[in-house]
Amino acid sequence: MKFSSDEIASVLQQEIEQFDSKIDVREVGTVLEVGDGIARVYGLSGVMAGEMVEFPNGAIGLAFNLEENSVGVIILGDYLTIEEGDEVKSLGTLLSVPAGDAVVGRVLDPLGNPLDGKGPVQTDVTRPVEIIATGVAERQPVSEPMQTGIKAIDAMTPIGRGQRELIIGDRKTGKTAIAIDAIINQKGKDVKCFYVAVGQKDSSVAGVIDALERNGAMEYTTVIVAGASAPAPMQYVAPYAGTAMAEHFMFNGGHALVVYDDLSKQATAYRQMSLLMRRPPGREAYPGDVFYCHSRLLERSAKLSDALGGGSITSLPIIETLEGEVSAYIPTNVISITDGQIYLQPDLFFAGIRPAMNAGISVSRVGGAAQVKAMKKVAGGLRLDLAAFRALEAFAQLGTDLDAATQAQLDRGYRMVELLKQPQYQPRSVTDQVLSLYAGTKGFIDDVPVKAVPQWEVDFLQFAHDKHGEMVQLLEEAQDLTDEVVEKLEACINEFKSGYKPVESDT
Amino acid sequence: MSESGTHDTVLDTGAEQLGKTYARALLAAAQNAGVVEEVIGQLDQLVDEYLAGSPQLGAAFASPRVDEAEKVRVIDRIFAEEFHPILVKFLKVMAGRDRLGYVKAVRDAADDIHDEMLGRIVASVRTAVPLDDAMRSQITDQLGSLMSKQVRLRESVDPDLIGGIVIKVGDRVFDSSVANRLNKMARRTRDGFSSRILSQFGSFTSE
Repeated sequence: MKFSSDEIASVLQQEIEQFDSKIDVREVGTVLEVGDGIARVYGLSGVMAGEMVEFPNGAIGLAFNLEENSVGVIILGDYLTIEEGDEVKSLGTLLSVPAGDAVVGRVLDPLGNPLDGKGPVQTDVTRPVEIIATGVAERQPVSEPMQTGIKAIDAMTPIGRGQRELIIGDRKTGKTAIAIDAIINQKGKDVKCFYVAVGQKDSSVAGVIDALERNGAMEYTTVIVAGASAPAPMQYVAPYAGTAMAEHFMFNGGHALVVYDDLSKQATAYRQMSLLMRRPPGREAYPGDVFYCHSRLLERSAKLSDALGGGSITSLPIIETLEGEVSAYIPTNVISITDGQIYLQPDLFFAGIRPAMNAGISVSRVGGAAQVKAMKKVAGGLRLDLAAFRALEAFAQLGTDLDAATQAQLDRGYRMVELLKQPQYQPRSVTDQVLSLYAGTKGFIDDVPVKAVPQWEVDFLQFAHDKHGEMVQLLEEAQDLTDEVVEKLEACINEFKSGYKPVESDT
Repeated sequence: MSESGTHDTVLDTGAEQLGKTYARALLAAAQNAGVVEEVIGQLDQLVDEYLAGSPQLGAAFASPRVDEAEKVRVIDRIFAEEFHPILVKFLKVMAGRDRLGYVKAVRDAADDIHDEMLGRIVASVRTAVPLDDAMRSQITDQLGSLMSKQVRLRESVDPDLIGGIVIKVGDRVFDSSVANRLNKMARRTRDGFSSRILSQFGSFTSE
């Protein structure tokens, strides 16, 4: 292969000929001081709040604080080569990021620059990073399900398209794992996924990308990374940038799932910037508008009306708590903004109950409407039953003699807990979930030893798919437990049980 | 003609405020006596020549350890002959209030207020070669008609511009320098070329 220099020269010539030089009119200021990702700029008297400015080294900044004599600028990029006295140019536009199909499958920084070495994002579509969320008239209630593929969640705290469901818990309780499973489960469902990593270790982000790739989920996923080493302004804008990219799909009638991992780090980055800008600190030293910082972000997740195409953004914000302290400032804020929360508990996690969801205090305020009928029938009351089981279990530990009914309730509870356990990266289709939960809630596994339940479930599902394909097919089409389905399903379970000897596993 | 313009990057808002207050008082006094131009010229001379030329004088002015009487004696000895009595009195007032260190802030504010009073704007003009009179009057006329204000030019020479002219009025820069145009052309060509390469890579190569 040879490069033809004539062709190259002619293209260059065309570019030069097309260049028309107008007088460059720009509004400028001078850097007074710079450091920690922010700069104070003298001048720029006509700049507007949130407007983009450019430094001589090409770094982009945002006018953040408009003061009497100077402008506080947050620097999105390399601030180490900016010097006192540098000329800052206002660009007269708002920050925007590339969007559209070109960003799918990419790993990007919050400005849309590639981090995966696959070359620049080639697209003409850009979207402003900060927009006001759609209003009341443009929305409709959540009605479509957003299956996470996790039994415990789809049964007890179902999520609908357009919902904001908070995942909250201490460190190392499997928060990210739930979000990743939800992304993996969107395969073939025409949902574009966005994983926004804020303040995460680059090694864990690399692990997430690897998991997504191995499970074939990168094809419809965009990863936006502002790692722990990225300047605070980058960490601050990353969630907004990810949402902007997702909005392109929503406004074109598509569906998107955005995971913000995690918003407590974004709040910390925002606190850092605000304190450096000398905004007054409030509770836990967060600035007064940290609530607005999160509410305006999560308000952009929506289910649009049919007139606007019926697109949606579902968001799964993640918040890390310290020692289970949900009444800290940021957790209470985000709990009050979102439409429900999945609360993960360390003691459950270490007892081997994974996902370690606490069924008692996890809720979904709108997702019930989005649950398929079959799931509603098997899972109705499951959450309350489990919560009652937990109370009973604590009581039973006192060693009192129990009557038969209570003992039966306890036995059912132990098996349901076992049944709701699920390994990572193995999301289940909603049909499979209904099959296993039906067997569990109707007492078909009460005679299976507790430790044999997980293997029983795997083998049962395999059996149902192999031997009773048309029943599974029927359920999949109806998405409902009609009398016909119930009859066939019970026949299937009984047939399976008659020829199966439960195997106790060690786990 | 001043040196190629680097901006004063120390912003002391207190000094700015203080300078404005004193400058307003000084200009009002000078206006009553009808000697505004003279006083401003002498104030410029004080800052640009005396204070810039003699750091010791500046240090003595600013130092709280030199007492008021000493400062007044210095002012009398150096400036009484040369400067207008209003300015000398003004300096003594500043000495009395321990504000002599802010003479430069007063000068800057006085210049601004004076320009504003006359409906005049200051345009910093950077060129690669020194301006001649014809150019100067052309720029002044053009800018004056554009802004409908009287224009005062502050010129500087910067060979890095290669050619053309950069005019700065307030925070707004009108840049038609050759250096800037070359930079822009380079960036545009690079962007256009890389998008062409991506869109029609085949036509650049032959087997």
